[in-house]
Amino acid sequence: MDADQDRFAIVVEGLVKRYGRIVAVDGVSFRVGYGEVFGFLGPNGAGKTTTIHVLATLLRPDGGRVLVAGRDVVRDPVGVRRSIGVVFQDPSLDSELTGYENLYLHGRIYGLRGGLLKERIEEMLRFVELWEHRDRLVKYYSGGMRRRLEIARALLHGPRILFLDEPTLGLDPQTRAHIWDYIRKLRREMGVTVFLTTHYMEEAEALCDRIAIIDHGEIIAEGSPEELKHMAGNDIVYLKIRGAKPGICGFFEDLAIECRELPGGRVALKVEDAVKALPRILLRARDRGLDVLEASYHRPSLNDVFLLLTGREIREEGPMDMIKAVVMSRRWRR
Amino acid sequence: MSEALDALIVMAYRQLKRFRRGRARVVSSIVNPIIWIVFFGLGWSNVFNFPMARMIFGGLDYLSFLTPGVVAMSVFTASFIGGITVIWDKQFGFLKEVLVAPAPRWATILGRIIGDSVIAVIQGLIILGLSFLVAHSLNPWGVPVSILYMLILSLAFTGVGVSLALRITSMEAFQMIISFLMLPLVFLSGAFYPLKYMPDWMKIIAYVNPLTYTVDGIRYWLTGVSSFNPYLDLAVLSGLAAIALVVAAKLFSRATLD
Ligand SMILES: Nc1ncnc2c1ncn2[C@@H]1O[C@H](COP(=O)(O)OP(=O)(O)O)[C@@H](O)[C@H]1O
Ligand SMILES: [Mg+2]
Repeated sequence: MDADQDRFAIVVEGLVKRYGRIVAVDGVSFRVGYGEVFGFLGPNGAGKTTTIHVLATLLRPDGGRVLVAGRDVVRDPVGVRRSIGVVFQDPSLDSELTGYENLYLHGRIYGLRGGLLKERIEEMLRFVELWEHRDRLVKYYSGGMRRRLEIARALLHGPRILFLDEPTLGLDPQTRAHIWDYIRKLRREMGVTVFLTTHYMEEAEALCDRIAIIDHGEIIAEGSPEELKHMAGNDIVYLKIRGAKPGICGFFEDLAIECRELPGGRVALKVEDAVKALPRILLRARDRGLDVLEASYHRPSLNDVFLLLTGREIREEGPMDMIKAVVMSRRWRR
Repeated sequence: MSEALDALIVMAYRQLKRFRRGRARVVSSIVNPIIWIVFFGLGWSNVFNFPMARMIFGGLDYLSFLTPGVVAMSVFTASFIGGITVIWDKQFGFLKEVLVAPAPRWATILGRIIGDSVIAVIQGLIILGLSFLVAHSLNPWGVPVSILYMLILSLAFTGVGVSLALRITSMEAFQMIISFLMLPLVFLSGAFYPLKYMPDWMKIIAYVNPLTYTVDGIRYWLTGVSSFNPYLDLAVLSGLAAIALVVAAKLFSRATLD
């Protein structure tokens, strides 16, 4: 166990948390290495926020063991608090103060002061591009600005581990992309370990080295985004070939797990990894004198994984789906 | 220790900063006592304008009797409400920011309580200044000692307010406390009429009401009139403040989001 304490930023074993009779987290175990970006992906009410609150020492676990930065959250909460920064799902800024004052307050509470504190505040406010807005009261900030300020605040005291609870919930796609950039950057440039929760699949996929899919308080799958998607089946490459004749599948037999001829000169090839298979398939087609008009591929998404494991969609709608719906409706109108 | 002190100072600073910004709140908290002094005090002072009446109020004109009580009342109200506003921090999430910090919890909450207490005393001093304009038997030399009483009172009741706020979960409970606890405490404190003319059952409540001892103490130092020994007043207040601060610190140290 001692070796684990040094190697892992977070060690969770059999964590249980109840609210009265509701079991919010039901025996969850996972480990997060230093420098890793680890994500909890799951629908609303899955137990993500509850887990973060336990890890951040704000809720007492009812069972199991939790080590953060090598410290036990029950026995040494102060030790844990020294090593972490937290961006909560719900806002936690003082909106009657300015952005600068919020960071100043935070810095002083964490024992920073003087020139060092000033430098850190400027550095962090510039990092999230709020330096120009530093003297405005937070109550006049937009939702995205508030979230960015919270990220800056959580990083101000230089924590080794950063918790982000649904960091882009309810933000517009542009602000979201910005926040993704910050998260990538802070991991790359500051080497911070990140534990984030989200119910957006694209977000988990875009940011995380490893993802745990959580549902009804239990982890139902864990792995890298690639590994998880493989659980839902293989990639499929689609080709459209000029003058395709029956039996065309014969040309690709050794390159695909399975091949199916579709109407309209189309062929569907089931492969392990579409990105690697596609060039080889196209090369083969050229060698055999086939005229490929179109090529595309489909990869199972994390949503397909969730569907496979639970029989439900991870969510009914979100910003990305809404954009798709808007784009689609435009298309139909034309 | 310097870490604790830093956290304490900056939390007090936060309360003062918010107070300076929230002008509307400042005005409204001062307006209430002014209404008491002007519409209640000036009105009754004409009614009580005969020699016998002075005997009722220990030889004082009614305004000189009333104003120290109103000062105590305003400090009490400001500090109690100040403490209870921890519930807003809970509501708006700022509490989580404080709870997740490594700074000792007793230091962050004590800083907050001190900040709110200073604000309450400032408000009390404004009322006291106005009192000198209308009441004629107030002794300016009693002001510094009165400030001490006001400060201890406000530490006590900010502490009580904070403790209550950490326990209550709904805004309804908050409203209940304001109307069923605060107003009776003010009326049964001897601020508006002398204790000795109260019915016995009221007297009992007045004797266990800490505000009674503040009103009495401040009145003694400003006018020389009192029902108890002013040092007893001070002892009762200090005891309450000590208990309230310890309870608030304990509750806050153990606070989770459950
Ligand atoms: N304070 C609470 N009291 C009672 N039940 C709660 C409380 N907080 C969360 N829950 C319940 O616990 C479960 C997990 O909630 P939560 O951790 O917030 O999920 P998520 O963050 O994944 O949406 C849900 O069923 C939720 O209703
Ligand atoms: Mg949540």
